[in-house]
Amino acid sequence: MARVVVDVMPKPEILDPQGKAVTGALARLGFAGMSVRQGKRFELEFDGEVTEERLAEVRRAAETLLANTVIETFDVRVEPTPESAGAVDEAQNSQAGNNQAENNKAENNKAENSKAENSKADGSEAQSAEEAELAARAG
Amino acid sequence: MSPKIGVVTFPGSLDDQDALRAIRKCGGEPVSLWHGDDNVDGVDAVILPGGFSYGDYLRCGAISRFAPVMAEVIKAAEAGMPVLGICNGFQILCEAQLLPGALIRNDVRVFVCKDQDLQVESVDTTWTSEFTVGQTITLVLKNGEGGYVADEDTLRRLEGEGRVVFRYLNGNPNGSFHDIAGICNERGNVLGLMPHPEHNIDPLTGPTQDGRAFFSSVFNFLAAKV
Repeated sequence: MARVVVDVMPKPEILDPQGKAVTGALARLGFAGMSVRQGKRFELEFDGEVTEERLAEVRRAAETLLANTVIETFDVRVEPTPESAGAVDEAQNSQAGNNQAENNKAENNKAENSKAENSKADGSEAQSAEEAELAARAG
Repeated sequence: MSPKIGVVTFPGSLDDQDALRAIRKCGGEPVSLWHGDDNVDGVDAVILPGGFSYGDYLRCGAISRFAPVMAEVIKAAEAGMPVLGICNGFQILCEAQLLPGALIRNDVRVFVCKDQDLQVESVDTTWTSEFTVGQTITLVLKNGEGGYVADEDTLRRLEGEGRVVFRYLNGNPNGSFHDIAGICNERGNVLGLMPHPEHNIDPLTGPTQDGRAFFSSVFNFLAAKV
């Protein structure tokens, strides 16, 4: 399984009333000095590998439907999934703009998976699910 | 023979019945069209009504724009058939790129519902020939995402070619660039506007009957064509 993420944002020159409302709400809650612009995130999942053809197809889909390029910009990127974390990590490392947070998340997922596997062997699933979550949080 | 005007009902359309009624009240023959229809044969003009088609999911009009009937509406519009997009219909026309620009959430961040004064800026369209330039009219305006935006080049072109058809008067209700309430395509057969002419045709339910001229305009156009 492979995952491609499409991020859609209102263009900088386009007013973002939703972002403004969120900015105002944050300020009222005491989160000062934060200016928010609100966009959308689409997760597209595929069987098999993410090929260049696949990415081109996603870009076409983004241009056709996911974003209105009159008012929005979009960004397409491959995101590691638990199963493909190793393979995709390599691919991502070769790209500029490698996202540390995403890598951390992948590590967490790996930890969670291995923990879950261990627990199966123990035969104490209920408890181990909790443990796995704790481990993921700690990670 | 009275002209046949089709009104497309999408899942989530609200004002399709009012549009059908307005056509009948103004002397035309209303024809119900369905978003899944694969043709618009037998109608002389099409209205895309107001509402929240496909729940406004993704963006207003973004999914409706790819409804089966829209392929036919786009083809017919490009061949010169009169098409009127009201409110959500205007958003669909912009998403379909039959009209330039886009409509975004109102800058005031609230749903606006009021009797809106408008200035008629162009009568060189299929839907506005019965008005006079500079005329002030009042129509119902009710939307959450009615802010018209377009890049500078597009705005310059619209202004230069006389394609701004209606402008908001006495205050801009939603942050639309250049106070734009409605625009048309180059040919003048496709008109999109946020206010609702179909709600202003009956003294019982509206403060004006200024919406009637939209219908008489298109009837005259179609009568002259035959």
